[in-house]
Amino acid sequence: MSALFSERRVISVILFVLTAGLVVSTFGLQFADLGGAFSPMFFPRIILVILLALTALNIVADLLAKTPDAGIDLWPVIIIGAAFVAYVLLLVPLGYFISSVGVGIVILLALGLRNPVQVVLIPVVAAGALVSLFNHTLKMPLPTSPFVWWL
Amino acid sequence: MIQSLPEAISLILTFEGLLVLTLGTMLGIILGALPGIGSTVAVAMILPFTLTMSQAPAILLLLAIYAGSVYGGSISAILINTPGTPQSAATCLDGYPMAQRGEAGKALGWATIASVIGGLTSAVVLIFAAPQLAAFALNFGPIETFTLILLGLTCIVSVSEGSMIKGLIAGFIGIFLSTVGGDPITGEARFTFGQFQLIAGFNLLAVVIGVFALSEVLTRAAARSNGNAPLVDFNGIVLPKLHEWSGRVKGLVKSVLIGNGVGILPGTGAATAAFISYAEARRSAPTRENFGKGEPDGLIASESANNAVTGGALVPTLALGIPGDAITAVMLATLTLHGVTPGVRLMTENPVLMAAIFSGFFVINLMLLPLGMLVSRMAAPILRIKEAYMLVIICLLCTVGVYFVRGNPFDLLVMAAAGILGFILRRQGYPMAPLVIGMVLGPTLEISLRQGLIITDGSFSAFFVGHPIAAVLALAAVGMLSLPLVRAIKSRKSV
Repeated sequence: MSALFSERRVISVILFVLTAGLVVSTFGLQFADLGGAFSPMFFPRIILVILLALTALNIVADLLAKTPDAGIDLWPVIIIGAAFVAYVLLLVPLGYFISSVGVGIVILLALGLRNPVQVVLIPVVAAGALVSLFNHTLKMPLPTSPFVWWL
Repeated sequence: MIQSLPEAISLILTFEGLLVLTLGTMLGIILGALPGIGSTVAVAMILPFTLTMSQAPAILLLLAIYAGSVYGGSISAILINTPGTPQSAATCLDGYPMAQRGEAGKALGWATIASVIGGLTSAVVLIFAAPQLAAFALNFGPIETFTLILLGLTCIVSVSEGSMIKGLIAGFIGIFLSTVGGDPITGEARFTFGQFQLIAGFNLLAVVIGVFALSEVLTRAAARSNGNAPLVDFNGIVLPKLHEWSGRVKGLVKSVLIGNGVGILPGTGAATAAFISYAEARRSAPTRENFGKGEPDGLIASESANNAVTGGALVPTLALGIPGDAITAVMLATLTLHGVTPGVRLMTENPVLMAAIFSGFFVINLMLLPLGMLVSRMAAPILRIKEAYMLVIICLLCTVGVYFVRGNPFDLLVMAAAGILGFILRRQGYPMAPLVIGMVLGPTLEISLRQGLIITDGSFSAFFVGHPIAAVLALAAVGMLSLPLVRAIKSRKSV
């Protein structure tokens, strides 16, 4: 990324654009017109206008600042982030145990672990312990698997 | 409330009560010692375990986790030079050098005694200050409440780390997120964009766990540390002898006062208190040239102040419903889940519960000494656990915590989104505590502002005429906001 389009500046601009979009949306929404402080949009509009001004100031501050972006190892973050989103989507259909073991394995692999015993054993033990504690001891059921009732 | 004390003590001195306090404190110490978890996440992770418990033990368990985790942070700070919690960052400065020269047990001894004294004094402050503040809050109408929350928010932003603009942005994002869902006055849905799950708004705990725990997992994955930090030799805590305290008591008293004072201010938190106290000790101690090289005075300053914050931060939380920091914001949310609404009515309508909370908090801090000595030996080997394993366990526990609050799978998606957003924002220097506190205080801020405007016929200037408390609070808020500006002008002049 060039110096002008540093990560920090891009994020600042995205925040400004998102806030501007929300401010505009407050004028498009239809509510019973009670006026003034009774209006459901009264408070959010004030907050969003202040936020818009702040994000504009933030862009100026970031343009003036010369802080370079700190480099990071992005791949593990992308893999873990995507795996976690998939995990929460599959948690109910597949059950807590199966989906947790799956995400645990992906996280460990993304973090560089390659010992197959450790990669499988840690998520199985952690998820199994939580399932047995909540489902079978505390009687607070986590989503169960469609295949077997006890997992 | 004093009349309720015998009944409250009889609640604590049951098998269940003592078990909750002991296990909670031990678990808090262990969770606090594990880098990456921290007090906020520790309290949030334990929340689902409390849902089956009755009110008093559930709240006492969370308090034990809170106080234990603040102390526990010192263990990893001293043994592996990595603070388990941000509050213990200042402890590394002198704790680790002491450990490196073979005095790890001694360093933890100083830290333990300082933490216990800090925690006990803060419990006393909580017991005496919270009812007084709650009684004073009886004078508050919507206008005073509005200005009080405004003051709280400005305190949070002006002392938040890094850029003040970024702190303000985070706070306002939090307030905006709190407006999503049903309007508190008319009931009409706002910013739901056709998603019926959003009518009830964002689940606060899903956002908190996302921005603190999940974003921490992503941050650590991005940093990808190679292996574990070397553990120094440690054979148990060695308590300092009485004569070793000579010349150090004055510093301890000063640090305890700083911790309590900072704790009561909304939004400041234990990390700020620890650093202010450390800086003051370095300025005034006769041994100042030894600071940073393993000086016990530095350890005492940091650890007594950060534990002294715990009770102080609970004062505005319990008395006014205004959280002192991110941890107490989570505590506030969990209190609500257990059917407890902080404020003066809690003190008058449920004196037994309040007396149990106050006396329980005192007992927890007392228990830090024996349990600290016991658990630190157990915690030391736990610090050798691979970080990757810890990250997996954090992810699985976060999911359990969020799922049990409402049993709504949509909250899990909110947590995932908050985690990714939190990671991106934290990387760019946006503090997350103002976001969470903004989200907690947002609904009260909105209702009090709108009610105030309805009372004054829409005149905002009438807020301060005939409302002296509101005027003083508003002036204080302006003062807090201008603090960084004054500091910047001062530092420019000194250059």
